Amino acid sequence: MNCSEWEERLALYWAGDLDAEEAVRTQRHLAECPGCQVFLSGLKSGLHWLQEAHSEEPSPAHFAAVRARVLGELRAERQPFWRRKLLYGLAAAALLLAWTAGLRLQTPGPPAVALSRPPVVAQALAAPPVRESVMPAPGADRPVLSRHPRLVKTEPVMVRVVTDNPDVVIYWIADKKGE
Amino acid sequence: MAVLPDRKEPSALSLAIVVPLDGPEDRCSVIDAAKAGDLLAFEQLMRQYERLVLVTALRLLGSLEDAQDVSQEVFLKLYRNLGKVQGAASLSGWLYRVTVNACHDSRRRRPASVSMEDAGDLATAAADPQQLSAAGERSRVLEMSLRILSQKEREALVLRDLEGLSTSEVARVLGSSEATVRSQISKARVKVKGFVERYFRRRV
Repeated sequence: MNCSEWEERLALYWAGDLDAEEAVRTQRHLAECPGCQVFLSGLKSGLHWLQEAHSEEPSPAHFAAVRARVLGELRAERQPFWRRKLLYGLAAAALLLAWTAGLRLQTPGPPAVALSRPPVVAQALAAPPVRESVMPAPGADRPVLSRHPRLVKTEPVMVRVVTDNPDVVIYWIADKKGE
Repeated sequence: MAVLPDRKEPSALSLAIVVPLDGPEDRCSVIDAAKAGDLLAFEQLMRQYERLVLVTALRLLGSLEDAQDVSQEVFLKLYRNLGKVQGAASLSGWLYRVTVNACHDSRRRRPASVSMEDAGDLATAAADPQQLSAAGERSRVLEMSLRILSQKEREALVLRDLEGLSTSEVARVLGSSEATVRSQISKARVKVKGFVERYFRRRV
């Protein structure tokens, strides 16, 4: 058996994991083999080094965090069913409100409305004044006709609606009696 | 031959405010109180065994975050099985078993371990050893040493050589025979010895 075949036995021998008979055989071999002695020495150093590294534990805060999570979950499970549902419902309502508020902030405002009278359109639509004759009531004195009959002008009004889209402009034309 | 750094004296353990559960009677009374819904009693139980669970999970998984998740899972399972563990001969044996199984489940969701060659390259290329603190370097070498092992080898080495369980206790925790555990441990020790020597040889 060459030394590489003794390696796993030596690895067990170091920690006392060999049975009595195997341990004695390994001990005899060690006494005669400097290579295996060096191997065993390296094995001991390496594993002792790991054991010292293992003794350095995480900070107490990490342990406290686990305890807090466990106890928090156990306390939450103890709440009555209706109370848990109420809390979930309130949380859902708060989320919905927040989402709706966010939507309203993003929604664009109503388009600006401006009254305007483009000169060309106004002239085309200007109607001649209407003469209003005053007819006397039967039996009444003859009215005095004024030299200037009252004229009632109907002026059309054009409403120009400006939208957010610059390519879209709405014109709304309506009759409007003079006030 | 690679020269390993001088062994330092073990650092002082941090003190924990724990009322020791010395005997089975103490443990039974605390478990009884916890079963009755006393969360303070359960917290006392957690403080007694949290090091066992979190550190074992950390060595098996290599990630503190994953180890904390596993620890949470293990203690919740403990709470829900207090009646079962009260009758168990060893609460620590039960906890080791549940921790190992929980780590299996966690690892299924994670990438595979690094190969020996890759681990050696990672160890030397990633950081200048002189810039790491001594504790940081020890922690890093420990983590890399465990990463080159197979899952079974890692479990056997962590439980036997780091946590100090006997071979028969390790076999019970892992659900294997003692012969299988011995074979896994011997392979693991040889691999770790080779990795540590190679690491410090490259460093010199």
